[in-house]
Amino acid sequence: MTDFVLVLDSPTDDINTVHNFIENVWESNPELDAMDRLRFETALIELAANVIQHGGKGGSIVATVSLSIDDDVIRGQIVDQSEAGAVELGLREMPDEYAESGRGIAFIQRLVDVLHYERNGGDNLWMIEKRRTHA
Amino acid sequence: MDFERENLSDTVAVVRGVGRLNMVSAPHLREAVASAIADGRAQVVVDLSGVEFMDSSGLGALVGCLKTTRQAGGDLRIAAPSDQVTMVLQLSNLDRILTSYASPEVAYRD
Repeated sequence: MTDFVLVLDSPTDDINTVHNFIENVWESNPELDAMDRLRFETALIELAANVIQHGGKGGSIVATVSLSIDDDVIRGQIVDQSEAGAVELGLREMPDEYAESGRGIAFIQRLVDVLHYERNGGDNLWMIEKRRTHA
Repeated sequence: MDFERENLSDTVAVVRGVGRLNMVSAPHLREAVASAIADGRAQVVVDLSGVEFMDSSGLGALVGCLKTTRQAGGDLRIAAPSDQVTMVLQLSNLDRILTSYASPEVAYRD
């Protein structure tokens, strides 16, 4: 298993910091399936954007983003200490075509195999998993 | 990511940028399209050939721009989306209402 960790300190860091982190991980793991990478990266970016947008009081937040790759699964985790959100993780319907927001969680649910949230002490812990495609 | 505008004709404008269309850059897309409309060009094509990645914030901006161009009597079309952008469009069913063309030049040939 390979582990990668990013400490995200927003607003100094923003969503592009997470993109750059993921790109570095892909560069060191070129054997990953291209569509697996696209789906996982899109899901992790949606999750990180959600944490940045809804987690930070006064616009600032510190979160730990970690990514691990093993033979079968790509796993991403985001931990932050902001207040517990009222998160409804039942399967979300995709908003209608003309909606301008509200697609983030619905995207994640359709892009990866697992989306999990738990409140652990003072931490919010988000986890996603994508099963790897093997040629 | 910043967006540039090029006028294709008296009524058609191309808006293009290079990079990621996300929560950071989405407001810039809205501004570029609003500026084209203010300039009398409500037929807009967003050239996505340089957009390597789009998330739901970027998608929301595209939908918002589609609505503002139509309210101004025009339309918004897209050109040359990447594999990732195409995936996001299909996932959201936006491919039903946002017509995609091979290049900006052919987007308003009809």
